[in-house]
Amino acid sequence: MAASRGRRLLWHGRCWFSQTESAVPAPPPADSLYPPIVASATAKSKAAKRRRLEHFNQRVHAAASIEEKLRLYGQLQRPKYMVYPQTFALNADRWYQSFTKTIFVPGLPPRAAPAATETPGAVTPEAAKAPEAAKAPEGAGPQATKAPEPGEVAPAGAKTPEVAAGAAPYLDMGQLRSLACDALLQESFYQNKKRPALYRDQDHTPGPFLTQLVSTLAAFLSGHNPLLAASSLDLNPEVNYYWHHGEEVVVHGHRKGRVDPVRFQIDDNPHLQIRVPKQLPEFVPLESDLGDVPVIEHKPSKLPLFKKQYENKVFIGSKVADPCCYGHTQFHLIPDKLKRERFVKANLEDQIEVVYRANGIASLFAWTAAQAMYQGFWTEADVTRPFVSQAVVTDGKYFAFFCYQLNTLALTVETTQNNPRKNICWGTDSKPLYDVVEDGSVKGFNDEVLIHLVRFLLNRPREL
Amino acid sequence: YPLFQLGGPQLRIFRPNFFMLAVRPGVPQPEDTVQFRVSMEMTKVDIKNYLEKIYNVPVAAVRTRIQYGANNKRDHKNQRVKKPDYKVAYVQLGQGQTFQFPNLFPEKEQDTETRSFDDFKDKYMEREKQRQKGDPRRGGVPDWFGL
Repeated sequence: MAASRGRRLLWHGRCWFSQTESAVPAPPPADSLYPPIVASATAKSKAAKRRRLEHFNQRVHAAASIEEKLRLYGQLQRPKYMVYPQTFALNADRWYQSFTKTIFVPGLPPRAAPAATETPGAVTPEAAKAPEAAKAPEGAGPQATKAPEPGEVAPAGAKTPEVAAGAAPYLDMGQLRSLACDALLQESFYQNKKRPALYRDQDHTPGPFLTQLVSTLAAFLSGHNPLLAASSLDLNPEVNYYWHHGEEVVVHGHRKGRVDPVRFQIDDNPHLQIRVPKQLPEFVPLESDLGDVPVIEHKPSKLPLFKKQYENKVFIGSKVADPCCYGHTQFHLIPDKLKRERFVKANLEDQIEVVYRANGIASLFAWTAAQAMYQGFWTEADVTRPFVSQAVVTDGKYFAFFCYQLNTLALTVETTQNNPRKNICWGTDSKPLYDVVEDGSVKGFNDEVLIHLVRFLLNRPREL
Repeated sequence: YPLFQLGGPQLRIFRPNFFMLAVRPGVPQPEDTVQFRVSMEMTKVDIKNYLEKIYNVPVAAVRTRIQYGANNKRDHKNQRVKKPDYKVAYVQLGQGQTFQFPNLFPEKEQDTETRSFDDFKDKYMEREKQRQKGDPRRGGVPDWFGL
C-alpha cells in the first residue's frame, strides 16, 4: 500500500529520469495483499536497466503529441557517429547499407499497371512503332520504352497523337527537351558570369541550372500530375535523422565498460526537395525480400566515421504541423570535393558510382525515416505501411536516379532480432544528360535521362 | 649530371631516407587496410608516393596519426624515461586488393621424441608436487604446526 501510494523516485544515471517519476505501478490483483514483486528500478543490475528502458518506452508511447514524442526520443545526448551522405570514404555505400539495413537493387523498381491504360509511343526514334498495350513490364531499367502511366511520352522529335480511345493528355518530348535546353543554355551560355571562385564550381553553373530545370518542369507537369500542384518545393532544406543500430562497449571515460547502442545522426542539405500531402504508392509489398544486407563486423570508426555530441534532431524539411508531410523527390548536387575529375586523377574510377549510391541511400533513408517519425512511428512502434521517396543525385551533367522504400524502423539490437523486414533502395548508374554545350546549342542531349526525370516527377498515388 | 629543366629527362634518382614498417594492427582493421609505422616527418602524400613508386602498391587512401610515447616510467635516478613518439599510417589499398597480416610464429609440429619428453616432464612435476604436499588427513596444515 505504501509502495502504491504514488512513489516519488529519483532515478539517477539516466538523464531521462531526472524528473521525478509519478507513474503509479500496476495495482495488485484483488486476491493478493501485497504489491507485485518486480525488479528494482534503481539498482546497478541488468534487470533494473531493462525496467528503466521499459519505462522510457512507455513514456514515448504515451506521449501526447508528435513533437513531444520526438523530444523524448532525442532527449538523451551522447557521442554519436555523424554520417555524411556525400562522403569521400571508400566503399561507403556498403557501410551505409549495413547501418540502415538496406538492400541495394540496381535498376529502377517495377512499375505498377495504371488504372487507365493508355498506349504510349516508343521512346526510341524508330518509325512504325506499334502502340503496345500498357502492360506493366517488370524490372524497368533505362531500356524501358513503355511508360504505362496516365501521361504518355511521345517519341523524340515527333508529336504522335495518342492512339487509344479517350482524350487522355499526352506529353510533348520536344517541349520538355526545349525547356531543359533553355535552362542549360541560360545558365551556361547566355548569362554573363564571372569565373567561379576556388572550389565553387558547383554553385556557379550546375546549382542554378538544377533549380531552374526542376522548377520549370514541376510547373509544366503540375497540369498532368495534380499532386505536384499541391506540392511544396523547398530550396536548400535541411533533413536530419537520429537512430540507434547495433551495440558496442564504451572504451574510455567515466562510463567505461558499459554496453551502449551505437548512435548515428544524418544531417543532410539536399539542393531541392519536393514535399507532397499524400504518400506515394509502394513499389513492392511490405514484407518482400529482394536480397541481403551486407554485414560488416568492424567498428564504424574504421570507415572512417567520427563521433560528436550535439542535438539529436529529426526533421524532414518542415515542422510537424505542415500538411505536406510526405516526401516526393529530392535533388542532390555533388560538391566540388567529389567531382569525377578528381577521382579519375587519383585512379579511383570505381568510387565514382559509390559516391552517388552512398548519397542516395543515406539521404533517402534519413528522409523516409523522418517522415515515418512524423507520423508517430518509431523504433518500438514499427511502420505499418511502407514509406516511399525518390531522389536524383547529379553533378550538373551526370544524373543518377534512386527510389527508396522504408519497410522497417526497428534497427536496435532488441527490435531487429525477430524483424525479417529490410529497407530497399533501387538505383541506377550515373548517365550524362548532354555531351557538351557550345556555340549556343546543346550537343548530344540524352532523352532517356529526361524521361526518367519526368517519370519521377509524374509519380503519384493511384487514386489521383 | 646536366642541369634539369622542366620537361627534360630525369637522370638522377633520389632515394628517400624514410623507412616504413608494416605492423600487425592492435584492433581489427578492414580487409583493405594496412597499418604502418612511419617516420615522423612523412606526410600522407609522401606515403602514397613511396608505396606506389618503390613497391608498385596501388594506394587508394592514407590516414595518419601521431602516437605519443608515454613519459611515466622512472629509472633508478627517478628521472622520467620517455618512450619515443611515432607516426602510424593506415593505408587503404586500391583495385580491390586485401591484406591480412601473416602469423609470424605458427605452432610447430612436435615429433614423437619431444612429445614423450614433455609427457615425462609433466609426470615428474606432478610426482614432485605430490611429495611436497603433506598428509592429506591434516587438510593442508603444515607438519610443524602442533600443540
